[in-house]
Amino acid sequence: MEPKRPKLPSNPRVTSRRAMLRDAACGFGYLGLAGALSDAGLLRAAADGMGASPLATREPHFTPKAKQVIFLFMHGGPSSVDTFDPKERLFRDAGKPLPIKRPLAFDDQPPGPLMKPFWTFRQGGESGIPVSDLFPHMRSVVDDLTVIRSMVGEGVDHGAALLQTFTGSSTFTRPSMGSWAVYGLGTENQDLPGYITIKPALSHGGAKNWSSAFLPGAFQGTAIGHSGLKIEEFKDEPIEYLVHKGFSQEQQRYELDMLQNINRRHAELRKHDPELEARIQAFELAFRMQVKAPEAFEVERESDATKKLYGYDQEVTKDFAWQCMLARRLAERGVRYIQCTHSYKWDQHSDLFRKHTQNAAEVDKPIAGLIKDLKSRGMLDDTLVIWAGEFGRTPVSQGGDGRDHNPYGYTIWMAGGGLKPGFVHGATDEIGYHAVEDRMHIHDFHATVLHLLGFDHEKLTYHYSGRDFRLTDVAGVVAKKIIA
Amino acid sequence: MTRLVSFSFALVVVLLSVPVFAQTASQVEFFEKNIRPLFANNCQVCHNPQMKTGGLDVSTAEGFMHGGASGPVVDKTNPAESRLLKVTSYDERIKMPPTGKLSREALDALRSWVESGAPWPGSWQAAEKRPEPAKREFNEKERKFWAFQPMKEPDLPGVGNEAWIQSPIDRFILSRLEQEGIDPAPPADKATLLRRASYDLTGMPPSEQEITSFLEDDSEDAFDKVVDSLLASKRYGEKWGRHWLDVARYADSTGNDEDHRYPYAWRYRDYVIQAFNDDMPYDQFIREQIAGDLLPADQPGQVNRRGTIATGFLALGPKAIAQQDKKKMLYDVYDEQLDVVSKAFLGLTITCARCHDHKFDPILTKDYYSLIGMFASTRSFKDPTTHVAKLLFTPLVPEEEYAAYTAHQDKIDDNKIAITNVVDEQLEGYSNSLSPKLADYMLAARKAGDGASVDDVAKANGLDAKILGRWVEYLKPGSVPQPHLTEWREASADDLEEIAQSYQQRYRERLDEWHARLAKWRASVARSLKAKNMPPPMKPKFVPGEDRFFHEVSLVKGGPFALDEEDREKVFSREARDKLAELKAQEKKLKETMPPEPDMACAVQEGEAVDQKVFVRGDHGSPGVDAPKVFPVILEGHDQQPVATGSGRLELADWLTRRDHPLTARVMANRIWQGHFGQGIVRTPSNFGKMGERPTHPELLDYLALRFIDSGWSIKQMHRTIMLSSTYRMSSKVSDQQNAADPQNRLLSHFQRRRLAVEEMRDGLLAIDGSIDLTMGGTLQTGFGTDRENSNKRLSMNPDEINRRLIYIPLRRANLAPLLNLFDFGDATTPLGKRPVTNVAPQALFLMNSEFVSARARNLASELLNDDAGDESRRMKRAYLATLNRVPAPDEIDAGLGYVSRLKQRFHDTTEDIDAWMSLCRVLMASNDFIYVD
Repeated sequence: MEPKRPKLPSNPRVTSRRAMLRDAACGFGYLGLAGALSDAGLLRAAADGMGASPLATREPHFTPKAKQVIFLFMHGGPSSVDTFDPKERLFRDAGKPLPIKRPLAFDDQPPGPLMKPFWTFRQGGESGIPVSDLFPHMRSVVDDLTVIRSMVGEGVDHGAALLQTFTGSSTFTRPSMGSWAVYGLGTENQDLPGYITIKPALSHGGAKNWSSAFLPGAFQGTAIGHSGLKIEEFKDEPIEYLVHKGFSQEQQRYELDMLQNINRRHAELRKHDPELEARIQAFELAFRMQVKAPEAFEVERESDATKKLYGYDQEVTKDFAWQCMLARRLAERGVRYIQCTHSYKWDQHSDLFRKHTQNAAEVDKPIAGLIKDLKSRGMLDDTLVIWAGEFGRTPVSQGGDGRDHNPYGYTIWMAGGGLKPGFVHGATDEIGYHAVEDRMHIHDFHATVLHLLGFDHEKLTYHYSGRDFRLTDVAGVVAKKIIA
Repeated sequence: MTRLVSFSFALVVVLLSVPVFAQTASQVEFFEKNIRPLFANNCQVCHNPQMKTGGLDVSTAEGFMHGGASGPVVDKTNPAESRLLKVTSYDERIKMPPTGKLSREALDALRSWVESGAPWPGSWQAAEKRPEPAKREFNEKERKFWAFQPMKEPDLPGVGNEAWIQSPIDRFILSRLEQEGIDPAPPADKATLLRRASYDLTGMPPSEQEITSFLEDDSEDAFDKVVDSLLASKRYGEKWGRHWLDVARYADSTGNDEDHRYPYAWRYRDYVIQAFNDDMPYDQFIREQIAGDLLPADQPGQVNRRGTIATGFLALGPKAIAQQDKKKMLYDVYDEQLDVVSKAFLGLTITCARCHDHKFDPILTKDYYSLIGMFASTRSFKDPTTHVAKLLFTPLVPEEEYAAYTAHQDKIDDNKIAITNVVDEQLEGYSNSLSPKLADYMLAARKAGDGASVDDVAKANGLDAKILGRWVEYLKPGSVPQPHLTEWREASADDLEEIAQSYQQRYRERLDEWHARLAKWRASVARSLKAKNMPPPMKPKFVPGEDRFFHEVSLVKGGPFALDEEDREKVFSREARDKLAELKAQEKKLKETMPPEPDMACAVQEGEAVDQKVFVRGDHGSPGVDAPKVFPVILEGHDQQPVATGSGRLELADWLTRRDHPLTARVMANRIWQGHFGQGIVRTPSNFGKMGERPTHPELLDYLALRFIDSGWSIKQMHRTIMLSSTYRMSSKVSDQQNAADPQNRLLSHFQRRRLAVEEMRDGLLAIDGSIDLTMGGTLQTGFGTDRENSNKRLSMNPDEINRRLIYIPLRRANLAPLLNLFDFGDATTPLGKRPVTNVAPQALFLMNSEFVSARARNLASELLNDDAGDESRRMKRAYLATLNRVPAPDEIDAGLGYVSRLKQRFHDTTEDIDAWMSLCRVLMASNDFIYVD
């Protein structure tokens, strides 16, 4: 569809771009987004109801295909040529030297020879998209996937690659994609954070990968545990400070009433300061949040059939099944942007066969379960699911039976949210090193995700430090071919 | 923002002579057959009219003739030197096409085409165009931009209400208000003023004692005394040092990819606190942070310790040290250093000019690279070329002293290595002794597996029974597939001997290789221990994929030839054991006599002077014209003498601290003003450029900046000047008239209420219950390098669990404490001139639910109950004094006491006195009255 012009700011205080910049309470303003987000209003929860909260729902530039995002991140970099990108020549020429000059690699040793993929590829579903035996469950839902075989990034080390995958920049601190999404759209459930990242990685940029950077802190991702913790260690208090220890809820309400009395008296003596009322409202919201939010995290409430579907009943899949089920529960409750992380397991510089097998065993079923579950609940239509590592791996061997990092041509897939299902986009060269057809740079990927969320990526901007910033920097082309 | 459309210099088109020869039919054919398809198939994915990667489009004659961002790709006068041939030859850094080198035939065709003059059919009509960068002339508006004009001593404005004037500052404020017909707010009451001044200068609440004595002091200069005593407090440097650390994007690790610790970053932090406490002149503060290592030490022969530490300002930025394009890594670091310098001191966003001239300000790309040259000539790494670049640590003692220390350290290390060598030699000897028997063991295991007893077979073959037993187990088929044993398992009886021999042969080769690798590792450990700035490399792990058989036999625990830990000493020779004992005794002695480690700093050092070029479009692989080390043309003009020797940092420091610099004093005066009023006179404190704000009171800004310089750049004097005005002492209450006329309070008709910063809130709460630990300085962080990927150690320490002031809690850049993110601390990665203030529910959760706040409330409640048992209203007064720093009104006392008793009544089963008072204290701590400063 053709992008419509974004609505002009409707707030009467906002008269011009310059005036907005001048008026911005804290040196930032926003430009190019529909009216609800006004400069100062952005920061103020609700003197006039939730309309002015930074997390209130906002209209994007045009009707979105996807309302929410679930990003399944395979930290470490799964091998594309062993999973979704079959390369005849690797089977044929295994053991021969790399026929091209190796681009900048992570390894400082000379490259090994071409290495044969460890798994057999078989066509799946009606679409017949080949998926290797590493992912039999994902193969069973391949008709719902849009496989992109031509991803290109710039970082050959994990840190740079993660930062670019999530923020667009491999070098600088920039707002993450989820922060942009919530900045643009707000969120639908005010009792939950708008952007939640489950068990995120502490390494390779850590919180920079879900940070709001110079966007207001309200758009920062909320971390649920981290990669080093077991679910049991944080599931009783998934969000920091969510649980009160000591008072009963009734006592706490009593205490809150006293607080609000004091605050009201204070505010009455001080006119013309909407911040004071906003903070009174923030406490009410917080109270509601602590009452209502925990229910969203009670994954145990899922039916046995659902648990089985995700593999929650088996030890090997339990952790990621929990993450995927929680992601679905959060999406169902209107959380805008959710990320699950299978942290730092996929980095097989050696022993790729054994480790990839283990890794796949942990995620394959939960992921397929998520797709099936979303579909059966009718949620896949407006939920965009993304499956990606920070890069793929080289067609040549490293460490005998592993592969090095390859950001020059790798595969990710997306599903739902207005994409063509059962569709393959782009191609790598005949050994799977470089993307050559319909190359999709990470900027293009970001532009496409924002497009699906209803944004013209060039117009979703934020003024900071003297210029307008956007997720896609000065690049990005929407991959129209993959949009249904 | 569209890319690169606003290159604002004019493209000067030079028409060169048109090629005179017409193309022959065969040339046309050659082109169409060989060259056009070559471009189409290999180059136009990127070099097309839409993408023009590198500025180059090879789809048309015009595009091709025009060339890329660094000029034409064909050199007509010297075709062999053409860029097109160089990049396709794969001999240079830039290799095209990136998907793989062209075939020999294609390269030959390309070469002969270029050498014949690169004839492009139809191109004789197309003029060859070559852009030549013109001298950028600034327009009138740019030259006259306010921030670049010299500071001017303003006339003191006349006012109607002379009685209001307590300081010249008030004239600037009042005259504007009078012009607009707005009345200034009345003075704040004394308790409010004390709370305001106290948080402003120290980030802490006034004590009960301080409140009482100020309220009782009726003298004229009561407030002057308060200001003086707050300025003399050590807490002052901790508050204002933190303001500076925001600007300096201070943190204790590199962030980005690896998040390595800066183990000595804290010395810079302590330096900043000390500088503020000592009221170090601001010009000296600048000079030390930029070039302190180059300034003379206080005593000859000593290292300029303070100055060296001060350059942490440059050294402590975020760094992507695992970036493999090392030149990019370095130039990103220089960019980051220039960014912090230009924003902090100049209030300019110079680094916007990295790829193109600044889009809004008259800053040229060349200006950018002229300054970058200074940082490129400065060392920030010990070794930038290693896989993970090595950070630079600088000793703060004279060289000889440091050398003596490292020499002793070396002895210990040598000794340690000697120990390792003895142990490894013995272990390797053991392995070597077994390897010739490998085939025997395999064959024996086959026999034993066939039913004979292991002990018998071992005895019969002169083998060790324990080892043989393991061989038997190992060779049994299990559930894990072992393709490397297939050959053995499927061997026929006739071939067994030969196959066993081949396994042995491969094993021995692998063993030798492995021992060689271990030897190499030991050598690198030795080197790294000498270098002392990184943890020694990990012992290499044998990559099982290289040889699963070898791995399982000798390296896996319990493998047939693996030596159990407890059996180790048994196989060592007597000599080896004696030697080890001797070395260990030696080690003990050396450790006992070890001199203390000299102090070190994370600082920069003078590097090799670089003749910096402009990088075309910011690409470090495309050097353009020279960018000698000079200062931005808009400020200093075209005729500058470039820095001749050294990095130029000293010259940069001199330039920044010139008394007539139009930006330096204004920028800092504005920051100080902002620290008191929440907003600066320029409301974008780190951007005085076109996209920044204009000053609300330009004459006042100049007045302050000039007084700042006159006072010898004394920051404390600036505080006095500002705080002793009527302007600072106004109430924060807003009248309807003020609100209608100036809703944003740009003209300062009243004091702007502000929320406490996260440090003030947290440290304030710790002060209220008396549990704050006011120890100054030093570090809570230990260790070097980074941690395992999923380790909790990657997290910053939790400020909820430490009672030191927040400024002393180390900041791991990649994972700041959640509390800091929650309360708008910023990211400790980009220079932050002013923190945003957000108001969101999770902040309320912290105050309602955190153990930290509960503990403060409980402590305060218990103190109240202990001290004044019996007098409840006095108790309530003390609760108010402690938290809100004021005496409660009678209705507040009643309401508070009413709450306490109702709570006890209503929840009598679970609520004791202490619980009820704790709840009340928590309410006060969570209240708007606490979190906002009037």
